[in-house]
Amino acid sequence: MSTTRSITTRGGETFEKRPFRFGRWLAETGWRHLVGVVLILFCLFPLAYVLSASLNPAGTLTGSNALFSNIGVGAYERLFSDPSQPFAAWFGNTMLVASITAVATVFLGALAAYSFSRMRFTGRRFGLMSIVLIQMFPQLLAVVAIFLLMNAISDWFPAIGINTHIGLIMVYMGGALGVNTYLMYGFFNTVPKDIDEAAKIDGAGHARIFFTIILRLVAPILAVVGLLSFITTTNEFVVSSIVLIDPEKQTLAVGLYKLVSNPNYADWGAFSAGAIIAALPVVILFLFLQKYIVGGLTAGAVK
Amino acid sequence: MVKSRSLMAAGAIATTAVLALVGCSSADGGADDAETTTLTVWVDAERVDALKDVAKAYEDKTDIKVDLVSKANAEIKDDFTQQAPTGKGPDIVMGAHDWLGELVTNGVVAPIELADKQDEFLEVAYEAATYEGQQYLLPYGVENIAVLRNTELVPEAKATFDEMLAAGTFVVESDGSGLANPYHLYPFQTAFGAPVFGSDENGYDTTDLQLGNEGGLAFAQWLAAQGAAGVIDTELTGDIAKERFLSGDAAFWLTGPWNVGVAVDAGIDVAVDPIPTPGTEAAQPFAGVKGFLLNEQSKNKVAANDFLVNYLGTVEVQNALFDSGKVLPALKESADYAASDEIVAGFREVGADAVPMPAAPAMGAVWEFWGIAEGAILNGEDPVATWQKLAADVEAAIAG
Amino acid sequence: MILLKIVALGIVDAIAVYALFVLVLSDEWLVAGIVAVVTIAVNWIYFSHRALPAKYLTPGVLFLLVFQVFVVGYTAYVGFTNYGTGHNSDKAQAVQALMSSARERVPDSETYKVTVVESLQGLGMLVTDPEGDAYLGAPDSPLERVDAVMEGGVAVAVDGWTSLSFSDVLKRQSEVFDLEVPFSSDLNEGVLRTADGSSANIYTSRLVYDDVADTMTNTATGEVFADTGEGAFVSESGEELLPGWRITVGFDNFARAFGEESIRDPLISVTLWTIVFALLSVASTFFLGLFLAIVFNYKRMRGRKFYRIVMILPYAFPAFLSALIWSGMLSERYGFVNQVLLGGAEIPWLTDPLLAKFSVLFVNLWLGFPYMFLIATGALQAIPDDVVEAATVDGAKPWQVFRLIKLPLLLVTMAPILISSFAFNFNNFNLIYMLTGGGPRDASAAVNVGATDILISMVYKVAFTGQFRDYGLASAFTIIIFILVAVISIVSFRKTRMLEDLN
Repeated sequence: MSTTRSITTRGGETFEKRPFRFGRWLAETGWRHLVGVVLILFCLFPLAYVLSASLNPAGTLTGSNALFSNIGVGAYERLFSDPSQPFAAWFGNTMLVASITAVATVFLGALAAYSFSRMRFTGRRFGLMSIVLIQMFPQLLAVVAIFLLMNAISDWFPAIGINTHIGLIMVYMGGALGVNTYLMYGFFNTVPKDIDEAAKIDGAGHARIFFTIILRLVAPILAVVGLLSFITTTNEFVVSSIVLIDPEKQTLAVGLYKLVSNPNYADWGAFSAGAIIAALPVVILFLFLQKYIVGGLTAGAVK
Repeated sequence: MVKSRSLMAAGAIATTAVLALVGCSSADGGADDAETTTLTVWVDAERVDALKDVAKAYEDKTDIKVDLVSKANAEIKDDFTQQAPTGKGPDIVMGAHDWLGELVTNGVVAPIELADKQDEFLEVAYEAATYEGQQYLLPYGVENIAVLRNTELVPEAKATFDEMLAAGTFVVESDGSGLANPYHLYPFQTAFGAPVFGSDENGYDTTDLQLGNEGGLAFAQWLAAQGAAGVIDTELTGDIAKERFLSGDAAFWLTGPWNVGVAVDAGIDVAVDPIPTPGTEAAQPFAGVKGFLLNEQSKNKVAANDFLVNYLGTVEVQNALFDSGKVLPALKESADYAASDEIVAGFREVGADAVPMPAAPAMGAVWEFWGIAEGAILNGEDPVATWQKLAADVEAAIAG
Repeated sequence: MILLKIVALGIVDAIAVYALFVLVLSDEWLVAGIVAVVTIAVNWIYFSHRALPAKYLTPGVLFLLVFQVFVVGYTAYVGFTNYGTGHNSDKAQAVQALMSSARERVPDSETYKVTVVESLQGLGMLVTDPEGDAYLGAPDSPLERVDAVMEGGVAVAVDGWTSLSFSDVLKRQSEVFDLEVPFSSDLNEGVLRTADGSSANIYTSRLVYDDVADTMTNTATGEVFADTGEGAFVSESGEELLPGWRITVGFDNFARAFGEESIRDPLISVTLWTIVFALLSVASTFFLGLFLAIVFNYKRMRGRKFYRIVMILPYAFPAFLSALIWSGMLSERYGFVNQVLLGGAEIPWLTDPLLAKFSVLFVNLWLGFPYMFLIATGALQAIPDDVVEAATVDGAKPWQVFRLIKLPLLLVTMAPILISSFAFNFNNFNLIYMLTGGGPRDASAAVNVGATDILISMVYKVAFTGQFRDYGLASAFTIIIFILVAVISIVSFRKTRMLEDLN
């Protein structure tokens, strides 16, 4: 063991100053890469079909195991060239709706989680329980109910009813309190109450504590919830296909689904191409949010 | 004090905002919707392009605006059924003739006056448009399956089923996971003289179940043999069948006109052959008729009837629809016009004796039982017992 | 801060007052009242110094009440109605639909050219018969021969009446469409109607509706169908005229749900499988997600970003697409798994009852672990490094650190997620529907229930057989399932004691 040059910090963090030893590397880091490689295969194999289908001129999804035997970009061209399928508009709409929904979900959820975590009031346990129970109700008739509701709203306020993005976002907001709130609630509970107390003694009001101190401390979970909400909204098509009618107002999920909903005419090539492009913003958003999710902001600030 | 002042501030803001909003809304409300009639038409997403020009031409001709809304094929029937009673549904909806039972039972579609045009339509199309003696559907396209042959692999059509199998690989799609596809197997069933229902001059007689007759049992035994020999395979899905044919592995493909385009695009020279019968009678496929239905709750019924009967039901328009969509038109004259297209003519010939799929609402359950039973037989269950149970299940489903 | 609040509230109030204005104008007093009360409540909440929690809860709760509670309430309400195929709309619409499909064209009758005309008494028809003779009629006066202005063989105008152009007709479509002119003084000869405003046919009706007695009479057989409170016109022999209409039926659907024979036999096994499926789905996704979160939460590891991105990809694609691909990959004779990975083995992944259960769980693991991974990664950040360090310095092994320190802390954040994830999978209709459709099914069994059917997918099969939709029955089942899963969840919440600990 040539540990002479290794510097171990108090916290067990070791820096790469010691000579490289494969055995130790394998035990500490290497096996993690092994897990990672296995995982990549596990995750990507089914998705390879998507990529292959998007390049396959035959337009089948699982017709053959000879992936990538035919290559062509026809599906991508079809996506962008058909005026009755305004893919670019769908993409823009999805980004708009998903971003606003994500931000609003995080905000409303955080507000609620804060009060559940920090305040004691009658009906608190009941409230906590109800919001999760409501989401357990099987959404069998959700489509009919939401159509009736949005239809009534349209009669009075067409600007926020059927065929509007605001209307769709409002429906999504209905789900802002729920599992997400629970997630944040749990995380809020791990933030020591001393912090609030200290701030209160310094004369900060509840709103200031919430906006300037707590929100920063719970950034990882805010990022997680935002990302989850963004992904869910991007892929949601049951409600959005009811609310959005004009092709140029529709979202990706609705528009793409129409390409494959008739099995006789299903264009899996264009659908797969669309799904791949739709996944890109998710990946980019995750890249961007990753530093908040694993940034360790909490660790530093709590002390 | 701060509080009351802030209240007043809020009130002031509110009042100005309201005045502004009210001002805006009263300025642009009303007036322009009374002048033009707009027909909202729900259309399968994949058919919007074919209809666009025709709709535009109608707008120019009549000043009635036609708003084509593209809908996912899988959602269109349920969405229409749910939305029609609210009065917010479309005026016209594109649909398949075998929805009629369900839609009429729900009271969401209105009859249209086609009797004068009966002779102008293909017999199968008119029959399909009729449910319980009334016409509800303005037919525009007729589809049925036939055998697509790769002429490079097999230059000549084959007369019998065995000759076909000897000449090249034959593929027909199943539903996978142990389920057969009864729609695609139906020609073979009729080949043994076992249609699902008996029929009289009024079309199907749903009380006369023919499925379980002697011919049905003979078909079941034939099916078991095909399953054992691997000719028909429940795991061979539509995707696999398509891929096999396109790659040249299969020379024969039992499929509909919807797959011709992709085969031609793949550079295959295809011919449309009759379905060779493995039994004693001709192998008759089901025909599916696509058309347009009128919402019973539409507030534009006069315009809608004009659009449907006096416009979409005319030869020029059906010719134009054929040119843009390549589907066999429902009008005889337009169907003859389409004869210039070998493929379409080929399918028409195969479908000459085709009967429309039954439209009774109970058919939904029948299809399900059918696919399970045929799948089980293909995978080695006793054909006779399984088929007899199927006949009993279907009878129970029809009886409700 | 206070300014921001005033501006925000000002906007809210402005919108509310505008909404009230619109609602009152359209006579929606109930909704207007609710909006008014809510607006006042919101103002009180934000100006009051009490009601602190409400300040934080109100925005989310409002949306929750409008969009979620309404949906739940509506579903529950439908459970007490006969809504479904044949009972799709209200009575007025049902009568309208019955009458319109009962309207029969008189056999071999001619088609008449028609010009819609108007006088002070209302609309009338100026018709031209095939011989070119003109007739005039109105709802209360049968057709009579008239002299009319002809144009191209069609009568287009007559004295005392104003002719309507096609665009005039379009403006009064419903009126024109419903216009009925008796063919002769003998009403049995039928009435003229025009569907398109330019041609008319003679119709008689198979049914006559008597709105005083509220009955339908079949004109051919004389059979009388009465509204007996069952949501349809029913004859004495029990024959129903469909379409009927929606009515509330009390607890009938629940009685049927419990009495449904096709469900009773498989009920216990399906319920057990549903619970097993939900539990194993939660456990497998949670442990895989957590394990991976810990593995890649190691600061000295390179490429963590890359691995993490790959890991969320299964979650970033539409689930139905992935399920279809998996079902193709698991195909017995053509799938990738058997053909390529296992060298041509014919393993019935989706057609053997036990293997199909395994496949469903496996695919659900693939679909669901990224979610748990993301949450676990976030939750791990809540564990202060110094706690772990202290334990490590004290000589605790990594497993002990995990089990005694990390896991309990993680569970504070994640326990509720596990419970709601259980509830989600309990009702995970989409996965079952798309991957196996509930199958494999035993073709010889009496009921149409497969090995992988969970409660909710079984309900679909019972309530939505083919084209018959029975939303009422389905909703009743939904309520029963909800009660079941809610009880299980409440008990679990108690068990985890997470609420007790924090109160």
